[in-house]
This record gives sequence, C-alpha cells and structure tokens, in this order.
Amino acid sequence: MRLRRMLAVWAAKITEKISIHIFRRQGATWAGKIALKIYPPLLHDLAGQVRRGIFAVCGTNGKTTVNNLLCTAVEAEGYRVVCNHTGSNMLNGIVAAFALKAGLDGKLKADYACIEMDEAAAVKIIRHFSPDYMVLTNLFRDQLDRYGEIDTVMESLGKVMCAVPGMKIIVNGDEPLCTSLVMDSGNKYVTYGIREPVRECGNPREIREGRFCRHCGGLLRYRFYHYGQLGDYYCPACGFQRPGIQFDGKDVEFGEEPAFTVEGRRIRSACKGFYNIYNILAAYTALRTDGLEGVHFDEAVRGFEPENGRMEEFWIGNTRVWLNLAKNPAGFNQNIDVLMQDEGRKDILIVINDRAQDGRDVSWLWDVDFERLGKSDTGLIMVSGIRCQELMLRMKYAGIAAEMEAGTAEAVRRSVREGCGKLYVLVNYTALFDTRNILTAHAGGRL
Amino acid sequence: MNTTDMKLTIGHLYPELLNLYGDRGNVVCMVKRCLWRGIRAKAVEYHIGDRIDFSKLDIVLLGGGSDREQRIVCRELKKVQKEFKRYVEDDGVVIAVCGGYQLLGKYYRTREGVIEGLGLLDIYTEQGDGRLIGNIVLDSGLSDVPVVGFENHGGRTYLCGHKPFGRVLYGSGNDGVSGYEGVIYRNVTGTYLHGPLLPKNAQVCDHLIERALERRYGPIELKELDDRMELAANEYICRRFAGKKIAAGC
Repeated sequence: MRLRRMLAVWAAKITEKISIHIFRRQGATWAGKIALKIYPPLLHDLAGQVRRGIFAVCGTNGKTTVNNLLCTAVEAEGYRVVCNHTGSNMLNGIVAAFALKAGLDGKLKADYACIEMDEAAAVKIIRHFSPDYMVLTNLFRDQLDRYGEIDTVMESLGKVMCAVPGMKIIVNGDEPLCTSLVMDSGNKYVTYGIREPVRECGNPREIREGRFCRHCGGLLRYRFYHYGQLGDYYCPACGFQRPGIQFDGKDVEFGEEPAFTVEGRRIRSACKGFYNIYNILAAYTALRTDGLEGVHFDEAVRGFEPENGRMEEFWIGNTRVWLNLAKNPAGFNQNIDVLMQDEGRKDILIVINDRAQDGRDVSWLWDVDFERLGKSDTGLIMVSGIRCQELMLRMKYAGIAAEMEAGTAEAVRRSVREGCGKLYVLVNYTALFDTRNILTAHAGGRL
Repeated sequence: MNTTDMKLTIGHLYPELLNLYGDRGNVVCMVKRCLWRGIRAKAVEYHIGDRIDFSKLDIVLLGGGSDREQRIVCRELKKVQKEFKRYVEDDGVVIAVCGGYQLLGKYYRTREGVIEGLGLLDIYTEQGDGRLIGNIVLDSGLSDVPVVGFENHGGRTYLCGHKPFGRVLYGSGNDGVSGYEGVIYRNVTGTYLHGPLLPKNAQVCDHLIERALERRYGPIELKELDDRMELAANEYICRRFAGKKIAAGC
C-alpha cells in the first residue's frame, strides 16, 4: 500500500513537470488523474495526514481569490499549507495539489489544506475526505449549460453539507441563497458580511438571483442592496431575514486601495473591487473561526498579489494593464463597477470564448449591463475571442461603439498601440489562458 | 400611415422570474429596432401581483425560468387566462421562450408532478431523460437566413396539429426526434431558442414588430436597417454548426 502511494505521488510529480516543461500548460488535471488511477485512496490518505484543519472554499464567484488569500494568511501565521492555488478545482486538480505537496516518501507534512471546490464536483470530492470548514461565498447564475440552474447547484451543496454534518460553514450572511441553504442544513455556521449600506444603492437594472424566499416562496424585501442580491434582506411572509453578522466589515473605503475594519483591525488591500472586500472578509473569518489570531493578516493581504488573471497587473511599455476574469453576469457587472469607479480615461478589451470549459452558451452576455459603459470615460473598446461577433452585436444593442479584432494577439497589440495607457482586459475562462500568455510575453517590454 | 407616428408596447412578463438566459436581449432588440425606425416603442415590465391589461399590449414576451419559477408564473397567469386567450385569438403577438413556451401548452409533466399550463396552445410537454443542450440552427419561414440560437431544456414538447417554428438543421429541437422546433399559432411564436434569440435573427424580430403594428395600424412596410453585424453573428453560427447542410441546400 505504501509503495503504491509513493508511486502515485511520483507519477503526479513527473506528469506535472512534463506538462509544464514540454506542453507548457498547467499539469494538475493529468497529474491528479494518473495518481488516482495508480492508487485510488490517495486523496483520502493524504488528506488524513493534514494536522490541523481542512478548508473547502465554494461559491460561484471569488473562490480562487478567497482560497489563495486564506492560504497566504495561514502561511503568514507560520503554518504549512496545501492549496490548489491555480484554481484547478475538480477532483483531479485537488488530488494533484495534495500529491505535489507530498514528499517522495508519499507522506504529507502539512498543517492546513485550503481547497477550492467546484460546486457540482463537491459531492464526489467529499467522498475522499471531510473538510472541517466550508467557506461559502455567494451563488450567482453561471454557465447554465454546464452547471444547470442555481436550484441544481444548491441541491448539490446541500448534499455536501448533509454528508459532512460536523463541517462548520463560514457563510456570506449578506447573500440570501447561501444563508438559507446553510440554515436549512443543520450544520453550525459563522457569518460575515457588511452590515451597513456603504454607497448609493447599486445598479437597479442588475439581474438579482433568488428574489423569492427559499423557505416560503414569498417575495424577499431589502432594506438595501450592496450589489446583486447581496444586502439586508427579509421576508415579510415568514420572517426569514439576514442573520446577525458576526464578522462585520465596517468603514468600507473604495478606490485604488480598498479598506475596511473588522474586529477593530483596519485592513487595506491593493485589490480593487467591492467584491474583493467580501473575499478578504471571507478569508479573515475562516482564519479566525479556526482560532488563529491573524496577527499577520493585514500584511498578508497587502502583500497578496492576485495572480492568474484576478485583477492581475502588467506593464507593457507605458501601458498599465489589468487582466481580470469575468465569466458570468454578476462577475462582469462587478468588473464594470470597478471601471466606473476609475474616473480617468481607459481602454477596454473584452475576450469571450465558448469552449467546453467556458460554457458553450454565451447568452449571459445579454444579462450584463454593458449599457453603463456609455457613462464612463472610455477610449477604445475592443472585442475579441471566438464569440467576438456576438459580443459586437451586444455592444451595438447597448449603444456602445466598439471595434472587433477576432485574434487576441492582434487585439492586445492594437489596444496597447492605439490606447491611452490604461487598459482593462476582461476575459472569460479559456480566454484567460490565451490572453495571459500574450500579456506575459509582452510584459516589461514593448510591442 | 408614417411609422414615426406609430407606438408599440411590449409587455415583459415577470422578468424577476423568467430571466434565465439573457431574455433581456430580446426586449432590447425589439425596442431598439423600433426606435431606429422612429417607432415609439417601450417595454413595460409586469411583476407578480400586477394587473395585466392585454388591450394595451402589442407584443407579449415570456422568458425562461426554472421549473419552480414556472410554477409560480403559471399560478399567476391563470388569473388572467381568459384575457390572455382572447388576446391570442385576436392575433395578439406573443414571443414565448423556453419555460414561457412550455407554459402556453396544456401541461408540463415532470418527475415531481404535473405543472398545469395555460392551455392557450394545443401542445404539451413531458420531461425526458437528460437535457437537450447546445447550439441550434433552424430553417424557418419567418426568416430568409437560418435561425440560430442555443437550446437548453429537459422538457420534450409535442405539437398537436400546430405548425412548428422551424425545421432543425442542427441541434435537437422540440423533442430531439421530430426534427422540428418551436410552434407557431396565429401570431404566437414559442421556441426553445432562449434569451437573445432576436438580435441574431433580426428578420424574426422584424416579423414580430410588423405583425404587431399591422394589428393596430393596418398593412405597413418596415424600413430596412443596416443589419451587417446581425447577419455576421448569425452566419458565424450557421457556418460553424450547419455549414455543410446549408451548402447542400437542405
């Protein structure tokens, strides 16, 4: 048994190296697949060796950022952490994260595991190990042809909670879908959120999920919205309402360096966007729920450099570029929010593909409020990717003048050359890899 | 009558429930294509509890929703079933997508039970094994170029004598076997092509607008628009998924 476990770990390590060096792609999926073939209980064994606690991070948006932040913060406390930090969040990717961290003797020396999980795959993943905590960020419509309606995702998460009754859930209390799910599960939970309104009520045209109470079917009412369906909700019919917020983000500040106070500590971050305040709060709450002090949390957050296209920054010549993943209406609308908060002139490049991992269906583009870009100081707006024509049409009906360049390399080149020096690049899942490679190749240099 | 003196009102029914797949795209498309021609079009949203006065409406739009949401909408629409029926029989224009399409029929039988429909059309739906998901291309009498879109439905819809919206060139359609998609009855169009059906199928959109205006103002001819972008987006899907069939003239 020990020999097979060792073999499985070796195979994972070799496969990953080959993938990266020869095929130049992330090798986690293949590495995990092969390792599991060699030794099926590998994940169970390795997860069992984690000494202090396993966090599972779920939710439509923010998983990768929360998970990586949490990992960074736990490491800052001096612990060894297993983390699927590239965002490979299906079974194979998670197996790979554990196997690659294990030693050549097939043993894992880790205090914590921070594992983001695909919501649909989570039922299968927890057959291998039981997390001590689940961090549940939010639920929005996302790739309906792959995941199905939110109802389906909720059903799947409900099963996970039911299967691991001892798992404590760290939940975004401002989000009614997550909260009602957690309350129904019977699992213990801890809430985080932003108790007070922090700005003018978001965008009234936004599509909001879960307008109806999950308990009685009545229409939910809101004292205020933060964005999407996040806010202070209550059901006049049955009394369901936002629970008390245990980890409350106070004195929220936006801008280049968003900041807030939690438990009397001022936390400042270089990550733009309202949603990043929620991401940081989620990580903080998880850390504190396990009893860690978090004395280095603020430093960890400040030093946290988002990678893999989560508001990742590049310089190409004199152009400052931000690359951000946006793969569903809620995520995209939040990105548009960030653009609107940046009052200076900027150019925008949007790249949309419809490969299997993106979801073949791009109808959601019509749920994004591109109309709002008309009120922003924008220079060149360029659309690219496999479905650039659909996007171009969307822009036409949004009343936004855009230019189309199907090839992403050319689109990047033109955006930098003809642009004003500040470029936001918004991409969906598979477009992220192509675009990131192009930006990385040019970064630091000129075009 | 000059089109600039014309008005058109679109009733968008229960957008808080039926909005699953970019249904807003259809509303935006109808409104914009009217405005570009000087027709004063507006969309009015109706929410649960609102009274719908069908005599004020020229086009009724029902979008897609989950089974649960469809149940809520159906319960609500039952209250105005007679008025809705009169509107349909009086050649009122309806565009119903996905869940909205299903609920125009007699019933939708799911594994959890039967959702009673509005019975406006002689069609019924039964839940099948698995969902029919993917890009779809149709040959439809409502458009010179093929109709393109995306379908994602667990229900299989059967037409009892009504005409289909189109013949399937690529994809599944109503039930995955008949080779037909959607339904047309008087000025009602029901289809599984969800959300932004109309922007990529501008002729279908114009057909709805034309029928709606004719009903109120008598025969008209719509001004042509520059549809190069619409056609490019349409052609891309046609070529990618049904290129050979179309080339063979099927």
